[in-house]
Amino acid sequence: MCDTCGCGLPEEAKNQAHEHNHDPRHTHREEAVLYRNLLAANEAQARENRAHLMEHGVLAVNLMSSPGAGKTSLIEAVAGSLAGKLRVGVIEGDLATDRDAERIKALGFPVWQITTGSTCHLDAAMVHEALHHLPLGSIELLFVENVGNLVCPGLYDLGCHLNGVLLSVTEGDDKVAKYPVIFGHAQFFCITKWDLLPYVTFDAAKPQREARILKGDLKTFSLSAKSGEGVSSFLNYLLAERAALTA
Amino acid sequence: MHEWSLACELVRQAETEARRRGALRVHSVKASVGVLTGILPELFQRAYEMARQGTCLEEAPLEIEVEAVRARCPECGREVTLHSPALVCPDCSGLGLEVLGGDGIFLTSLELDVAEAAGGNHV
Repeated sequence: MCDTCGCGLPEEAKNQAHEHNHDPRHTHREEAVLYRNLLAANEAQARENRAHLMEHGVLAVNLMSSPGAGKTSLIEAVAGSLAGKLRVGVIEGDLATDRDAERIKALGFPVWQITTGSTCHLDAAMVHEALHHLPLGSIELLFVENVGNLVCPGLYDLGCHLNGVLLSVTEGDDKVAKYPVIFGHAQFFCITKWDLLPYVTFDAAKPQREARILKGDLKTFSLSAKSGEGVSSFLNYLLAERAALTA
Repeated sequence: MHEWSLACELVRQAETEARRRGALRVHSVKASVGVLTGILPELFQRAYEMARQGTCLEEAPLEIEVEAVRARCPECGREVTLHSPALVCPDCSGLGLEVLGGDGIFLTSLELDVAEAAGGNHV
């Protein structure tokens, strides 16, 4: 057999020049070593978003939690309290409906709704597109409310300066250890619906301890958007971060 | 659920690369998944099997390598390897570890048949 092309000539003829009457292409098998980052396109877009927001002096805050932990309520409470201190804008992310955007619009803040359809997280390209619809020149603090989900959003850098996770006391105190990835990507952690603490079994020290294990420098807040308890220390944190961004 | 969008990106990048190299056939695809990504290898495998339909990867199985976390402990200064996302130093229980690897997802390699220069006469 021809040991170059395997074309079946007898052994004695293999060293003789011969015509091929089969597919003349000789092939060889190779391993292409690539090491391509599958998140590279998202990360490049995220860096661009961050730089763009920075140019406008906008501090962008990505809020992540399971559905119903109180992301929109926290934005409402914070945006209202910041009147006269920082101008707030909001990007809302949901699978369906513009209900959250309507709530923010009713308070008079600029808002853009991203409706993801079936996608379980926001990504940097979606945020980039949304930024075209917001008056960045008149915003100083931008909240990006992610799709309610404690798993997928953690992996996607949106180009925000801060990533935060909310956990409500009604969800249980075991969630940090159960969803470590999202907490590992966060800079702050808010325990929400603090006013309901007397009515539920929730050991607040436990998620705080577990969050510190995952991320030693995670800032932690306990607050209630409804009663206002604890909101001021979160506000002060945001004001300090905004000041540091533009210093 | 993000396994699906990442599997689509894997297929897109592998197809682009196979085409760029003039591959006649793709035998296998290798990917590396870091422990800190939270991606489930089994789900990623199934997502890949759906995403590759109708592409040149239909006959190419996916091999997934799970990449452990590599991190440096700020307390004891040691470089450690972790097999779970909890960033605690196994030597001194230090926190706030600096992550050096195991937080990404990569298309690592493709095994493929490529055409050599057109044949004709040869010895």
